[in-house]
Amino acid sequence: MSTPAAQYVPGQASADGIAARARGLTKAYGTGETTVLALDSVDVDIARGRFTAIMGPSGSGKSTMMHCLAGLDTVSAGQVWLGDTEITGLKERELTRLRRDRIGFMFQSFNLIPTLNAAENITLPMDIAGKKPDEKWLDQVIDTLGLRDRLKHRPSQLSGGQQQRVACARALASRPELIFADEPTGNLDSRAGLEVLGFLREAVDQLGQTVVMVTHDPGAAAHSDLVLFLGDGRIVDEMERPTAEAVLERMKRFDVTKAPFDAQGPPPGAIPTEGDGPSLDKD
Amino acid sequence: MLKATLRSFLAHKGRLVLSALAVVLSVAFVAGSLIFSDTLSRTFDRLFASTAPDVTVSPKENLDEAIPSGMTPTVPAALAQQLARVDGVAAARADVGVENITVVDEDNESVGPTTGAPTIGSDWNPTERTPLELTSGRAPRGPSEAMLDAETADGKDVEIGDTLTVIAAPGSFKVEIVGIATFTTTNPGAALVFLDPESAREKLLGDPAAATGISVDAAEGVSDDRLKQRVATTLGADRYDYRTADEQAESDLDQLGGFLDIIKYVMLGFAGIAVLVGVFLIVNTFSMLIAQRTRELGLLRALGADRRQVRRSVLTEATLLGLVGSTVGLATGIGLAAGLIALMNTLGMNIKSSEMVIGWATPVAAYVVGVGVTFVAAYLPARRAAGVSPMAALADAEIAGVGRPLRTRAIVGGTVGALGAAALLGCVTASETGSAASLLGLGIVLTLLATVIAGPLLVRPVIRVLGGAFPALFGSIGRMSQRNALRNPRRTGATAAALMVGLALVGGMSVASASMTDSFDQQIDKTLGADYVIQNTNFLPFPQEVTDAVRDTPGAGLVVRSRFTPVAVRLPDGDRVETTAAAYDPRLDDVARITYAEGDTPAALAAGRMAMDRDFARDHGVRVGSAIPVEFQGGRTTELTVGALTDQDQAEGFGTQGGLYFGLATLDRFAPGGQDSALYVNAASGTSADDLRTNLEKTLDPYPQVQVRDLADYKELVHDQIAVLLYLVYALLGLAIVIAVLGVVNTLALSVVERTREIGLLRAIGLARRQLRRMIRLESVVIAVFGAVLGLALGLVWGVCTQQVLALQGMKALAIPWGTIVAVVVGSAVVGVVAALLPALRASRMNVLAAIAHE
Repeated sequence: MSTPAAQYVPGQASADGIAARARGLTKAYGTGETTVLALDSVDVDIARGRFTAIMGPSGSGKSTMMHCLAGLDTVSAGQVWLGDTEITGLKERELTRLRRDRIGFMFQSFNLIPTLNAAENITLPMDIAGKKPDEKWLDQVIDTLGLRDRLKHRPSQLSGGQQQRVACARALASRPELIFADEPTGNLDSRAGLEVLGFLREAVDQLGQTVVMVTHDPGAAAHSDLVLFLGDGRIVDEMERPTAEAVLERMKRFDVTKAPFDAQGPPPGAIPTEGDGPSLDKD
Repeated sequence: MLKATLRSFLAHKGRLVLSALAVVLSVAFVAGSLIFSDTLSRTFDRLFASTAPDVTVSPKENLDEAIPSGMTPTVPAALAQQLARVDGVAAARADVGVENITVVDEDNESVGPTTGAPTIGSDWNPTERTPLELTSGRAPRGPSEAMLDAETADGKDVEIGDTLTVIAAPGSFKVEIVGIATFTTTNPGAALVFLDPESAREKLLGDPAAATGISVDAAEGVSDDRLKQRVATTLGADRYDYRTADEQAESDLDQLGGFLDIIKYVMLGFAGIAVLVGVFLIVNTFSMLIAQRTRELGLLRALGADRRQVRRSVLTEATLLGLVGSTVGLATGIGLAAGLIALMNTLGMNIKSSEMVIGWATPVAAYVVGVGVTFVAAYLPARRAAGVSPMAALADAEIAGVGRPLRTRAIVGGTVGALGAAALLGCVTASETGSAASLLGLGIVLTLLATVIAGPLLVRPVIRVLGGAFPALFGSIGRMSQRNALRNPRRTGATAAALMVGLALVGGMSVASASMTDSFDQQIDKTLGADYVIQNTNFLPFPQEVTDAVRDTPGAGLVVRSRFTPVAVRLPDGDRVETTAAAYDPRLDDVARITYAEGDTPAALAAGRMAMDRDFARDHGVRVGSAIPVEFQGGRTTELTVGALTDQDQAEGFGTQGGLYFGLATLDRFAPGGQDSALYVNAASGTSADDLRTNLEKTLDPYPQVQVRDLADYKELVHDQIAVLLYLVYALLGLAIVIAVLGVVNTLALSVVERTREIGLLRAIGLARRQLRRMIRLESVVIAVFGAVLGLALGLVWGVCTQQVLALQGMKALAIPWGTIVAVVVGSAVVGVVAALLPALRASRMNVLAAIAHE
């Protein structure tokens, strides 16, 4: 069940099967003595055609990592590739084009442009690029997400779950190399959340997409193929084919070791036994 | 609560800057105009008070000269000797002061002011009250020596020893400049030429025994009033006009007053536009700030602040803004006044900026306008703020203030609009100028109000059309910018309203002026039959010498003279009408085409006959054959028989009520001494018009005050006169546009802040900076063009109605200057692009991550 961390060894990079990778990815805020390291020389490979979840306690650097991988944020040191393209060092204009053409985004909330209807929101990145959407693919995405009868609705006329489905459709519409989802279920009730996670799963399994999701919800992470655990700006652990219980258990250890006074205690009745879950040994 | 208000004021100070700028501009114009006119009034007050003699005797003025006749009324110079013997008179002098002269240098260029101020010929007889002193050379002696004022000498490079030609009514003569005199007080802007007293009477008045007035100094212990009484008793109370020093100063000031008033009203016009447009800006700013702070206000309400406290908090903020704006505006106004004074000085006046007068009324007006306008403008937003429910603290901020129904606006706007339309309709159908003009004014105000109120309702339909091509042209970016403009119709409406007001004025004025121009053109085409018209640019009369020279020009055939003269007519219905009549030489029909309802030109110009406008005659019960008592300048009266009634489009207007005219011989008989105002010249047979023109221009070379004009030149002259009016309107428009741009910048800047997250999202999913800037620019353009379209539509309606009123005065042509209108629409798009520069730059510089995380 456990996988050795061999794939993180620097230098080993297969162009095939890797959607994005980072080497020595470092992000620092502030200067001098007040410097805070959000990411501390992280090496990571995102496998193509898989659903990767990034987890970690608040301040662990998980969002920063996603922003750096997605070309939204600049790095302090290290290199990031999207496919074969090194994105560190790209100019602002090239980064914008890269995000537009090769990456799909889903955010926690405020995902849609309020003045555009669902259909216009879905095709927005392609419209911006001045490209024609692939109608067949678009139909497939819309039908998969069950948005056929909502296309003319404005975001304000859609429920939170529907809005996230539209955002999901937008992320999929241009068939990007990589979809980044930042807490996509954070603002949804559990049923709508499950629905959205189901669609992301389907996007990977049936549509062959690559998804990276940042979350702090063990239940959400359980839908992924691989969970990467971040702590203090480093990848401290990973978990293949996770279950909610196992992830929660792993997270609890963060709480104990890293945040003993954290107000968030473990939820009652969710105390897994040692050895029950996958091996979570830190290296 | 006050602490919270102050904090909020300081926190939002950046966003209030543009509103404050609007307040500053309005206050600056109000304060500047008051300071400037106060300073000018006091300066001239002092000048006239210090230079007026104790008592002035001047020719009896029985009629007002609306249009100069060229006559210089005089009194006998011997009155001075007679008065010198009167008890209580210390001294009496016969003065000469002639305004209508032209002085040219050796190159036949006029040395007079180019500002339209007169050149005054006067006698040099200095007393302690003379506002000039001899500063170089010596006083003039004899008929061929003169002295010039220093400003004119400096301005035109005239030096002692130079020879100038003075063109005066009795004839032109050459003088050598022997002295330069400098003003010890303010120079009102005129050019002055001094001759010795005897030569002045001889050369300027053509009569050694005449004077234009007598100055009388009182002996010690005799009051001005008492002296005036004695002088009047001596000479006969009704024979001359008598004025004490105070009365004379007041009368001088009155004459100048027209000019001062024009400046004052123009400035106040600017202030009014600034205030009007500024109000929209302030209302909009406060509305937006309150919409953004809905949650904060909701929280305050939830914590127990009552409505009154919330309202007071907003109004306190507005008052603070008003106070700051007024203070800066007052300071700017002082600067503006100083600038105007400097400008006046370059035009030849001599006003010291250090003597600037800031009366108590100036700061009062500044603060009343500044604080008042801000308070009033913030009142509605403040009421809305007070209406924020405590629940708003929990709701999404974006929803507040957007979805409220516009029904009240629709009803009020519709009602006011209907009333305005009714007034305009009334003005179009009215048959009397007076009532039509007041209906027009009422209609303009009401329709403007209605458009401002109902503006937000028009946003959706109009912008749908205006921005309709955007999605096709610019794709998603176009679609988003169009919908962003539609997002908050209230805000878009108010932003565009600022531009609308200015452009409505321009639209209306340009239609009216184009119609006037066209009407004049048609009129000129229809009536002018002469090959050439010889005339002064300002329509001022010129000496007989010019007429003689024109008559003697080779190739000149018929020359018909035309003069103006003030008259008073007693009409059969009992009315006494003071107006200006024209007088022509007999062969008028050969140079002009006049349509008669009854009679003809010979019947009108025969001795003892006159012509009158048909409508005027009908209104006053005059018929052909009616004998009308006419009083002339100088006091002589006679009866003239109406020989013809004219049916002209533009018989009236410009002070020529009644369209009266008679033979020039008649005028010479009853009011001699006038000068010709225009000469209509036809080429003699055998001479081509072009040759005649060349000859005339050569003849008139020594007389730079008059020009030769053919039909086209004559139209050009009229166009230029109308253009002056337009320049003023364009200047007003310039100010309105500046403020409107501020308004658009303001709205866009606040909208960009409001849409931070949206912009962050767009940037994240791949919108390039350039595309983002274009999106904001397009929104700005569509708002600006919306304002322009609304304004021009309103302006066109006003213009057409104004033309209908003008048609009652005979200006029957309607012209719509499509070129100007297209230019204004294109210009407004440019305004939109300019206004979007800063907000777009700011939006494109936003950090994507910070924008996404923005709360």
